[in-house]
Amino acid sequence: MEKVLTTCIYCGCGCGMFLHVDGGRIVGTSPSLAHPMSRGSLCIKGWLAADFVGHPDRLKSPLIRQGDLLIKTTWDEALALTAASLRSIQKEFGPQALGVLTSAKGTNEENYLLMKMARAALGTNNVDHVARLCHAPTVAALGFALGSGAMTGSISSLQSSDAILVVGSNTTEQHPLVASYILRARSRGAKLIVVDPRKTRLAELADLWLSPRQGTDVAWINCLLNIIVQQDLADRQFIKERTDGFIETLQATSAYTAEKAEEISGIPAADLVKAASIFGLASRGAIVYAMGVTQHFRGTDIVQALANLALATGNVGRDGAGVYPLRGHQNVQGACDMGALPNVLSGYQLLSSPQAQAKFVEAWGGQIPCEPGLTALEMLWAAESGSLKGLIIVGENPVLSYPHTSRVQKALKGLEFLMVSDIFPTETTALADVVLPAACFAEKDGTFTSTERRVQRVRKAVDPPGEARAEWEWICDLTERLGAKAEYSSPGDVMDEIASLTPIYGGISYERLGPDGLQWPCPTKDHPGTGVMHVSRFPHGRACFRPVLYLDPPETPDADYPFMLTTGRSMYHFHTGTMTRRTSLLDREVPTPFVKMNPEDARLMGIRDGTKVRVETRRGSISVEARLADGVHKGDLFLPFHFSEAPANALTAQSLDPVSKIAELKVSAARLKKEAP
Amino acid sequence: MKAFLPKDQLPFLLEELGERIEVIAPVSTDAGPSFVTWQGQPLDLKDKPLTPITEFLLPHKEALFTYVQEAGRYIFKEEEIPSRLLFGIRPCDLHAIALLDRIFGREPPDQAYFRRRRATALVVQNCTSPGRECFCAGLEAGPEAKDPCDLQLTDVGDGFLCQAETPAGILILNAGRALLKPALPEHLQEKAKLLQEARRAMPQDRSCSQIRQAMERADWEALGRECLSCGGCSFVCPVCHCFNILDLGVPDGQRLRCRDSCMLPGFSRLTGGANPRRTPGQRLRHWYQEKFEDIPQITGLPGCVGCGRCHLTCPAAINRVDLTVASRFVDDSSEARR
Ligand code: SF4
Ligand code: SF4
Ligand code: SF4
Repeated sequence: MEKVLTTCIYCGCGCGMFLHVDGGRIVGTSPSLAHPMSRGSLCIKGWLAADFVGHPDRLKSPLIRQGDLLIKTTWDEALALTAASLRSIQKEFGPQALGVLTSAKGTNEENYLLMKMARAALGTNNVDHVARLCHAPTVAALGFALGSGAMTGSISSLQSSDAILVVGSNTTEQHPLVASYILRARSRGAKLIVVDPRKTRLAELADLWLSPRQGTDVAWINCLLNIIVQQDLADRQFIKERTDGFIETLQATSAYTAEKAEEISGIPAADLVKAASIFGLASRGAIVYAMGVTQHFRGTDIVQALANLALATGNVGRDGAGVYPLRGHQNVQGACDMGALPNVLSGYQLLSSPQAQAKFVEAWGGQIPCEPGLTALEMLWAAESGSLKGLIIVGENPVLSYPHTSRVQKALKGLEFLMVSDIFPTETTALADVVLPAACFAEKDGTFTSTERRVQRVRKAVDPPGEARAEWEWICDLTERLGAKAEYSSPGDVMDEIASLTPIYGGISYERLGPDGLQWPCPTKDHPGTGVMHVSRFPHGRACFRPVLYLDPPETPDADYPFMLTTGRSMYHFHTGTMTRRTSLLDREVPTPFVKMNPEDARLMGIRDGTKVRVETRRGSISVEARLADGVHKGDLFLPFHFSEAPANALTAQSLDPVSKIAELKVSAARLKKEAP
Repeated sequence: MKAFLPKDQLPFLLEELGERIEVIAPVSTDAGPSFVTWQGQPLDLKDKPLTPITEFLLPHKEALFTYVQEAGRYIFKEEEIPSRLLFGIRPCDLHAIALLDRIFGREPPDQAYFRRRRATALVVQNCTSPGRECFCAGLEAGPEAKDPCDLQLTDVGDGFLCQAETPAGILILNAGRALLKPALPEHLQEKAKLLQEARRAMPQDRSCSQIRQAMERADWEALGRECLSCGGCSFVCPVCHCFNILDLGVPDGQRLRCRDSCMLPGFSRLTGGANPRRTPGQRLRHWYQEKFEDIPQITGLPGCVGCGRCHLTCPAAINRVDLTVASRFVDDSSEARR
């Protein structure tokens, strides 16, 4: 029996864990007592993280399409076909007809190599990943406000906060180890304010639970800021010394009185006043938020409003005070850091910067296109309209995870060439021309970067099944076939190149990554890494306020579609369920899709717990079981998106946030009716 | 048979043994101690690994047999069970094994468990410096091994007092005969003294009946509101043993046995959808009920050996030991969890 120290594959907490290997198989998982954040704990998904690894459904050999069938082939043939198809599209329609969707499940090294392949070998900046659907607004808004789109402190620093404002995050279920620090702070006497339309577990434990109408966040956040300034609780000195744009922002927020905000959001004015004074009085105030904030068509504005609040109260740059965006995937932070985004190179170096261009061209050879590329959803719409012809999708299942399923399917079917690499067959591999079998996290080496910017090792514990390969291997192979250089002996070698080209990762190398990992920015080989950012200065100098105004959500309930539908997750499943639904215990916990609704609404419609219902929006309809839950507001519906038999995204709205291009996933008008038994 | 093993000779003894049998020992890694196959790594005999040694008798996931279809008939194959020597296990874990023997030994005995159990030799290390989380003394599970094992070691300063209790234990000592010295009466006196001190250093208010009283007082719903239903407490408990069976693969595949946890709601969900232990509080209550009331009735021993691992691994603000919410994290932030 051997125990291999690695990093959890599920959420952005990045817990450290051992995989127990006996006779070449993984027989168990256990937490690392020494991990600086998880300290001997895991959530239920973590305890079972390796259960899917040896599952018989794993993809074991490369497949190519022949008519309606996908048939087995060799790696050589699959990659030769891929290279030839991409080349011919590139020749005929130009590099802009190609695109790459990388994977937030992949390692940093793989994301880096993919963005290098897209830029240096395919000649396109059409490279993006699933962050578009979770934290693109964070990257955009915090990047503007604070000069960096990442969490400002360490997760463990939350235990020293005096007040924690949790917004749009079902933390106990989605980021349990973050919740554990919030609970610790609470048992130390910190005040907890939870803002969520649903009465989550954390809301039950909160000192104050505010339940806004869906999509009205900007209104109540502006209102808190307004009250804090009026009660003279703002940190004038911090504002003066370290920020710009406060006056304009103040002017904009002054219209948001408690009464006005109550009218828009439905939160009682008295509660808003209470919340403002709790947060305003705290000497260490933390703002924790997740997808409930970002997955809106005005997601960037909401994040900016939160940043305004943190800046006005001087809550940045100290332990226990800061802005804590919680990333969904274990490596969505790293995929962004690696420049798997259409407008930046690794480390958020702008494509438009001549120095950055020159540096990368020198390292890679050839040329890098300057024009920003298309975002994930834009690529799909370009495929639909026919201007994008060839797409590589790595470790992602857009048919299920992207909004408006039928449109995504149509777009992918319209492509001339689609290559998908994954560990299991999915709704997306079913549409591919070439399918590559990938090694999973337990079968390869690399690094992940957690939501607290902690770069950590992932280690190979067992061999991949059949002919499956680590993605970094075929990416190098394909890059070379496409005519660019990609000679690396190991993922550690790739990290050395990343470090040499990416200032925030400058000091990172495999030798230095012990059980604590290293938190970026880590610019030099002797730099200890950075727990708290922005201590004395922001990366772009001074922090920026920006006034944001409330706008009605694009779709509100009406007579035809009287319910407000929001999508989200269950604590026992992850993303599109390809891994968790193959983990027997997790599948046992939540085996079937469901919609959560208010018991009173259900009673009026004659619906019981377990009744089959049909949920419809203007875009589609699905059939699921009803679950009655007191925590759900009257008029609201909550639908998890893990289930291919009832794809929530068949229903979702798709208005894009003008800045970050995230889709509106949280608010759709819907109706519901009982299915004939 | 008694003998004395100077400390610097221990690796040589393990080397001797390692040539005959797979030796599992607590090795030191930079992320804490853990039980793995010993191949010369440095040992950590001070801290207790978080995953108990019982995983070698009841793995988190084990293939009971493989089924293959051939010519219209099924052929079943059991996996080979490796013979192993478990070195440096703690008295609490040994007591847990004694308890598992009773539970899995009830008619009809659990063959998968006993196949592994019979192929295993046990070398126990008495606890002369218990961890802060330990309370085995109150439950009579430690700090001195009282249950049958093959060989018992006690760190008496410059070496180990070795006491073989079975033929296998004598064979182990014989394997290292050249490394051993005779045991002296002082070694026995030192052992008694150190273990007496260790016993005194542990909390005195954690006997089975005292925990039952704490259960009467506990506000289960308040505790349950903090519980994150991670299942961790039952995955690290050396006594917890519930499992689930599933067949993976059609037409050929494996019948797997996987550890389960009563802290998960699905464990007690009934076919119709109702759940007698719907809330985390109810499940916590049941966990204690099982350990301190039901298992004692069935086996005559408490279902807890006082190792404190459930407390170490609990991510919530629940003090798993004294059944309160707030008291945790006040004094024990990082040191107690190491
Ligand atoms: S909290 Fe996140 S990183 Fe930690 S074990 Fe759970 S899923 Fe894995
Ligand atoms: S209940 Fe806790 S202290 Fe008792 S044996 Fe199990 S893990 Fe150890
Ligand atoms: S370890 Fe703690 S949080 Fe996890 S199930 Fe047990 S009591 Fe609940």
